[in-house]
Amino acid sequence: MKHKLRLMTLAFASLPSLAAAADLGVDATSLIRLEERSVPGFKDENVVPATQFLGVDLDKLGDGNLSFHLHGWGRVDLAHRSTDEGTTDGDLSYAYLAYRFPKADGLVRLGRFYVYEGIAAEQLDGVSVRGDLAKGFTASLFGGAPVRLDITDRNKGDYVVGGRVGFRVPGILEIGASALREGNTDTGQTANLKNYRQLVGGDIWLAPFRMIEVRGHSSYNTATDGFAEHSYLVLFQPLKDLSISAEYNDYRLKDYFASTNLRSLFNPDKGETLRSYGGSVTYVIAKPVEVSADYKRINYHGDNHGNTHRYGGEVRLTLADRKVRAGVSYHRADSNRADVNSYHEVRGWGLYDAAAYFASLDAIAHFYRQSIDTRSHDYEFVGSAGYRILPNLAFSGDIAYGRNPRLDSELRGVLRLTWNFTSTSKGAAK
Amino acid sequence: MRRIKLLSLCAAFAGAMALAACTHVISQETSLPSWHPEALGEGRVDCSECHEDKVKGVLKPYASFSHTPVFVKNHRFYAGEDGRLCATCHKPSFCTDCHANELEIKPSIRYGNRPDRELVHRGDYLTRHRIDGKIDPTSCFKCHGRTNNEQCVACHR
Repeated sequence: MKHKLRLMTLAFASLPSLAAAADLGVDATSLIRLEERSVPGFKDENVVPATQFLGVDLDKLGDGNLSFHLHGWGRVDLAHRSTDEGTTDGDLSYAYLAYRFPKADGLVRLGRFYVYEGIAAEQLDGVSVRGDLAKGFTASLFGGAPVRLDITDRNKGDYVVGGRVGFRVPGILEIGASALREGNTDTGQTANLKNYRQLVGGDIWLAPFRMIEVRGHSSYNTATDGFAEHSYLVLFQPLKDLSISAEYNDYRLKDYFASTNLRSLFNPDKGETLRSYGGSVTYVIAKPVEVSADYKRINYHGDNHGNTHRYGGEVRLTLADRKVRAGVSYHRADSNRADVNSYHEVRGWGLYDAAAYFASLDAIAHFYRQSIDTRSHDYEFVGSAGYRILPNLAFSGDIAYGRNPRLDSELRGVLRLTWNFTSTSKGAAK
Repeated sequence: MRRIKLLSLCAAFAGAMALAACTHVISQETSLPSWHPEALGEGRVDCSECHEDKVKGVLKPYASFSHTPVFVKNHRFYAGEDGRLCATCHKPSFCTDCHANELEIKPSIRYGNRPDRELVHRGDYLTRHRIDGKIDPTSCFKCHGRTNNEQCVACHR
């Protein structure tokens, strides 16, 4: 926590030096939650956490291509503790300087940021570089220290490096090869673990015909010598308003879970595999009505596991120039094992978003095949209403009530103040 | 002294050669804009409403990036290849609303006023996670396998 506060202080302290920025953007959301938790057999408990989310973007610094981006949050519990940790908490999600080159989509980042490149999805304190090369090639590199969790200082390695090389044929093909290495990871009590995480992988986008696209990636864990994942998606769009998709996923958990810091939960030592496949259909009946249906079969191979069908559908309405949006959905998780529960999920929601006022209603319920703690179902209703005091300053409040197997009743209120400021008009708001 | 001058000359020459090579190796295409030039309506966007051609920077059809239910559900594939296109319309905080090292509030509570957004773990997910985790633990691992699992540790030690 102290480390995070230091980082946030450092980040905020750097702001005055950048105050001459041409463009300033601030996103601030203040949330106060008021919750009453009623656990069977225990005294009711009130929790009142106050959370501040803050994002700052300074653009057009220096020669106009330099920018600074920051986002984080801090929380104070005003009544009982809201989590198992302390009464205060905070996190710096990212704080980095970025330099965007006018050509080749070149980008250099320095600081704390997230990287999504091929098989890599990492948060690190370090540097990243990317750019488009001639003849359709692209390249990216990153390196630094992985951002650690509060719970222990040893669940991540001392450094992480990686990158991706891609090749594109305009409108038809993109293939990529990516790699990642995290060094000096903690092996804990398990003697046969490697003290590094190392993955290599490939990704593809292929559009052989106008109406067909294939996307996907595979990753190979070189620390455990095995393929961790194959995930592929095929999209077929025979008509403008009709989309059909098929997906296939294959995981070897020995290799996929190898780098977890929760080995008791994600146990990679059982030699299990998981394969899933399915598809979906989406049809826009008329501009305001979108109907979709999906199905997924999950085959979990290993002791005490089985197969599950997941399927369902959703109808979405968009009316009055998108001011009114609504949807209803039904989904089912149906396991073939008696000791794994199954459930139905039903949801309905509606939203009205006008210039000054906005309001929404949301209801969700689950019906279980086997009762959990004597309850066969749960439900939650959420109502929300808000007013835009200024175009970029809005106040809103939610009230939620639910019953579930854990709690006799759960009553929650949320007060929310949102301020989105930009010093200049830069096109669409982000 | 002469040796230092000679080395400096060689270094300058090597630098100039590297710079010249880079200008040939690096694409001369203009970068994608930092912002979408026109304001976009609320809700899920359909890029093909206005665009017909390929996106210049990523060389794929605009229609590929229309935010259909399939796109929303499988956005990880798009982020891994074309993250810079996502950044044209989304700040990184849009991603960290759900994907973070430490998440303060369940996204569906933080955005209780946005039921139209596809946000995970709606309703009483603490009860339901015991079922979903047994059905498909890989779906949990993507977000909680190595990060964002401080609350998992409270019970799963």
